[in-house]
Amino acid sequence: MSNVIKLESPLNYFHGSFNKSSAPERLFNDQIDCDLVIKEAPLSAHLNLRGNADDSHFCSAVAKVLAVALPLQPGTYQRNANTSIYWLGPSEWLIVQEGGDAAAIEARLRESLEGHISIVDVSGGQTCINLRGVAVATVLKKSSIYDFEGWAAATPNSGRVAQTPFAKASAAVSNRSDGSYDLVIRRSFADYLAQWLLDAGAEFGVRIEQG
Amino acid sequence: MLLIHCPHCQEHREEEEFSYGGEAHIVRPLEPEALNDQEWGDYLFFRTNSRGIHHEMWYHSVGCRRYFNATRNTVTYEILETYKTGTQPTITGAKL
Amino acid sequence: MSSNRESPNQVRPNQERPNRLPTHTGTAIDFTFNGVALQGIAGDTLASALLANGVNVVGRSFKYGRPRGIFGHGAEEPNGIIQLGSGAGTVPNLKATQVELYQGLEASSVNGWPSVNFDVMGLVGAFGRLMPPGFYYKTFMYPKKLWMTYEHFIRKAAGLGATPVEADPDSYDKLNQHCDVLVVGAGPAGLVAAREAARTGARVIIADEQSEFGGSLLASKQSIDGLLATDWVASLATELKAYSNVQLLPRSTVFGYYDHNFLTILERRTDHLGLTSAHQVRQRIHRVRAAQVVLATGAFERPLVFAHNDIPGVMLASSVSTYVNRYGVAPGNKLVLFTTNDNAYQTALDWHQTGREVVAVIDTRADPSGDIVAAVKALGIDVIAGHGLIEAQGRKRVKRALIAPINKAGTEVSGAVRALDCDLIACSGGWSPAVHLSSHTGAKPIWDESIVGFRPGKSIQQERSAGACRGTFDLAGCLAEGASAGAVAASLSGYGEGNRQFPVCAVEEFAEQPQQALFLVPHTKSTSRAPSQFVDFQLDVSASAIELAVREGFESVEHVKRYTALGFGTDQGKLGNINGMAILANALEQSIAETGTTIFRPSYTPTTFGAIAGRDVNNLFDPERYTAMHRWHQERGAEFENVGQWKRPWFFPQQGETMQDAVNREGLAVRNSVGILDATTLGKIDIQGPDAAEFITRMYSNSYLKLAPGKCRYGVMLKEDGMIFDDGVCACLGENHYLMFTTTGGAAGVLAWLELWQQTEWPDLQVYFTSVTDHWTTATVTGPNARKVIAKVCSDIELSNENFAFMDWRDGTVAGVKARIFRISFTGELSYEVNVPAHYGRHVWEALMAAGEEFNITPYGTETMHVLRAEKGFIIVGQDTDGSMTPADMNMDWVVGKNKTFSFIGKRSLQRSDMLRQNRKQLVGLKTLQAETVLPEGAQIVFDDKQAIPMSMQGHVTSSYYSASLGHSIALAVVKGGHSRLGQIVHCPLADGRSIAAEIVSSVFYDPQGERHHV
Repeated sequence: MSNVIKLESPLNYFHGSFNKSSAPERLFNDQIDCDLVIKEAPLSAHLNLRGNADDSHFCSAVAKVLAVALPLQPGTYQRNANTSIYWLGPSEWLIVQEGGDAAAIEARLRESLEGHISIVDVSGGQTCINLRGVAVATVLKKSSIYDFEGWAAATPNSGRVAQTPFAKASAAVSNRSDGSYDLVIRRSFADYLAQWLLDAGAEFGVRIEQG
Repeated sequence: MLLIHCPHCQEHREEEEFSYGGEAHIVRPLEPEALNDQEWGDYLFFRTNSRGIHHEMWYHSVGCRRYFNATRNTVTYEILETYKTGTQPTITGAKL
Repeated sequence: MSSNRESPNQVRPNQERPNRLPTHTGTAIDFTFNGVALQGIAGDTLASALLANGVNVVGRSFKYGRPRGIFGHGAEEPNGIIQLGSGAGTVPNLKATQVELYQGLEASSVNGWPSVNFDVMGLVGAFGRLMPPGFYYKTFMYPKKLWMTYEHFIRKAAGLGATPVEADPDSYDKLNQHCDVLVVGAGPAGLVAAREAARTGARVIIADEQSEFGGSLLASKQSIDGLLATDWVASLATELKAYSNVQLLPRSTVFGYYDHNFLTILERRTDHLGLTSAHQVRQRIHRVRAAQVVLATGAFERPLVFAHNDIPGVMLASSVSTYVNRYGVAPGNKLVLFTTNDNAYQTALDWHQTGREVVAVIDTRADPSGDIVAAVKALGIDVIAGHGLIEAQGRKRVKRALIAPINKAGTEVSGAVRALDCDLIACSGGWSPAVHLSSHTGAKPIWDESIVGFRPGKSIQQERSAGACRGTFDLAGCLAEGASAGAVAASLSGYGEGNRQFPVCAVEEFAEQPQQALFLVPHTKSTSRAPSQFVDFQLDVSASAIELAVREGFESVEHVKRYTALGFGTDQGKLGNINGMAILANALEQSIAETGTTIFRPSYTPTTFGAIAGRDVNNLFDPERYTAMHRWHQERGAEFENVGQWKRPWFFPQQGETMQDAVNREGLAVRNSVGILDATTLGKIDIQGPDAAEFITRMYSNSYLKLAPGKCRYGVMLKEDGMIFDDGVCACLGENHYLMFTTTGGAAGVLAWLELWQQTEWPDLQVYFTSVTDHWTTATVTGPNARKVIAKVCSDIELSNENFAFMDWRDGTVAGVKARIFRISFTGELSYEVNVPAHYGRHVWEALMAAGEEFNITPYGTETMHVLRAEKGFIIVGQDTDGSMTPADMNMDWVVGKNKTFSFIGKRSLQRSDMLRQNRKQLVGLKTLQAETVLPEGAQIVFDDKQAIPMSMQGHVTSSYYSASLGHSIALAVVKGGHSRLGQIVHCPLADGRSIAAEIVSSVFYDPQGERHHV
């Protein structure tokens, strides 16, 4: 038995091997300009955080541990370097740290937080994909009933997020300052959503990249 | 397709994001065993089924996962207000 | 545009297209109609091209099989209903007036088997008087069993179009749109509304069903602000295109207006190109949430109802003008214009311009005296006032018109009848506002005598009507209303200052005199004896049919509609409704306002199923959820089963195995050595908070208050009515921290259920729930050798039964990955459920497979899982229960905590009188008397199979399998009073005549003492 521990992202098998689309010549070919590029981010630490937003100690302690302000405004996120906190509900946030160790983050938070809170490692259950290209706005309109056009532009450190149906699954969709969008999706729906996006992007040219 | 204002997300969202939760403001009896079968049956099965103003629960299931209440006109489907669980409606049948 | 002589599509000599005006030229387009090769030119609709070619008969009427020709020029067309294309991409029931011509178009009539020029229904037509309203109900309903036979031939003969039999090769999709102002219709009112809204910066969408914007102006010779109408339209369209905040949607029909300003638009993107391409979207539905809506949908000209008004060659006056002015087609030679109003006189002017003859204008009014009347008279055209055109004559084409003086009220013929030779009758009974979309919102149309039509009712949603659809018919009025509506709509959505003074457009138009309200033209004979005066062409409803319906006792407009079929065709009565209502009102001796109109509902025009389905087809029809090991299962040749949206391995067949072979092998492997199951799909909810134990105890039937860290407990969850709704194991992970397992299908429902009670009933209980279903991958290693397998990949957990007992869990490392292992068992064997974060799922699974190799570890699927648990009598919620089963019914009283202080959810209901009934259906085991016979699941159970039918049903089989371990079939069933019937014989009579006898036994077939999982 090999001692190598293999980590597999939900969409690992899409890169370079998938050829089911109606426009295969436009998939996975880095030489061609595609108006939609789907990129799966490297696996990251994802933690679901619950707590009382009215408790200033809670808010400041989270901010101190993660060096990111806890977003209190509904439908917004805050980001600092590789750490993002997304508002999911009035007492619920999603922490995503690229290259982070979920267990270590949980331990540091538990050390600093008091009272009724909840921290849950959900890293294995979701993945983050980025959509970029000139067709992104149209592809979002094909996939979601949410009005993303109504959002103000993101800054490098903050922007908007909405949990909403995406095709027949769901996603937490957020904007980036470069005009692209991030989707946090559930692992079990990742294959369906990737196929949906490949189909939706077929008329514009589409490819999937691994981060 | 209704457009529903979620008091937690503080914006209008499409009906597709929500699940209907039935009539609001029905309190579970504190001592169920003290009720006879008819009283328990009333709590369990009977609803006002209003024509006109109706207070009802909605669950933002594909959103913030919070329950809240809406005052809806069951004839026109107009939603007159939404308000957080634990608070009272400002629009009631008596006012119409 | 002039024809290009070098072009391969050279225009053929004009004699072949007798009605094409020589002034109108363009690129030739070849097409076929009913197999005949014809030619049109670019810009034609199929209807204008057919008329140019002199095609008179385009279809046969539904009931009487009468020949019918093109009558209108848009969505109102009742006769030119065609089948477009052939093969997989064919579309039935399109209106020839809305089909843009393209090279190679193939079309055929939907009505008129075997041919439009001779058909069997023509014979029925000869007996038309024998087919009153309700004819089909009255004649063909008896004997009932023959109706299917009658219907087959009637449908075939009448023609309802053919659906394609092959898969649709085209691509369709949907786009969700949001805008501040949606403008419906790009005629004069819509165009200026869009411009005014656009100028404020609001997000504007303007949709129009025609291929180009302009609406009625496309066929107008009027001038606006010194520009020819068509040039004015072009300049406005150019201005709109320049706005980045405006979306222009031509070829787009707004077909539904739903709650809270949600509208649906069907955009036809490639139909006019005649292409089939999977890469291009053929039709797209825009699902629009608009803050404000401006309806500028225009109006339909109302035909006049006279005898034989359906003969080809009778058309709407505005349609004749449209064909002449817009398409360069004069659909006849000798025109008689029949009108009740000034407006239609324009058609006489337009026709005169073509150089063809205007025989006469017949005006029902005694003294028409408007400016336009004078203009027509000035051309030397004969205007015959105070007359009605009472009957058209001819069969496949109008040959003459019978006219006669009529009284002032328009109710009877008051003088001698005379005939006018002609081949074209243009008629106009005034205009009916297109109130359809406003009506979709629930607004009730209001009858207005001053316009002789229904106006839109009071707005219920955020919408307003402008222009002709509001009953404003003069161009200056339409432009003024449109500008105001656009500005007001924008301002209500937060843009601009709203209603202000707008520059008035300089418009050339004739002042009009009042029209006459005339809905049925009198004949020398009474309505019932006169030749048919058609109200609804598509479904052959005549004036006499409506009167007959009233004589037979129908009074409500909705009932008359259904009895006569008035307005039931694919044109939805756009032409006939008002005349029909008015004739009904007259027969009922009441006003039109009292009679009211039928309610218009979506869709405004027919919508294809392809567009409604969009991209939710084939592999995208419904999400398929995969576990981290999905591709491993595929590589191993697993057959899959749908469990909710999950794809779960059903069984893993080896070379040459049947499903039963595979299930027998898999089951024996678990019983005798070790098996492995992908159990990832079970719902998992992380629960944290100081009140977690209290909360869980309120939700489950048993108590969790004393469950220690490291321990698990099985529980069932009831609804408040006492019925089982989910079950599973809950583990205590630490202080105030629990993990709840739910059934695969119940995960989302259970989480919502927990949130409901915590948020709305007990917000004082401090507890948070988080779904971790997707986070964990679960591999169940089960069988006598399970411990040996686990020991090979896990060195940091003491695996002995003493240290890690049944219903314990431990954290440890499996194959180098941090894991959590539960000793819970759904097979009755020694079991370890290994949980790891899903990204490591396949790695750990493969490590377990490798570790188990020496024990011939066998992957098994859901079918074997079902057999193994049924051998143990473990229930599956939703299979053995159906929402009417209590724990006691399932023989699971042991799971109900009788001493719990809090009245947990469902507890009180367990004491209701019906729950205490002795003969409730109760879970038992069934053993067939013939060991090999497997009962069908769902089979009904009787105590005596010799009794007369209908037999008294005593229960049913809920689970049934062949058990290889036991060597006989096993079944679980619910039987009335079953718990006290052990040892009795019951019978399952089957549909095939067999009756299978079985003995009622304990529901636990295997290892009844439960020793095997405790080792």
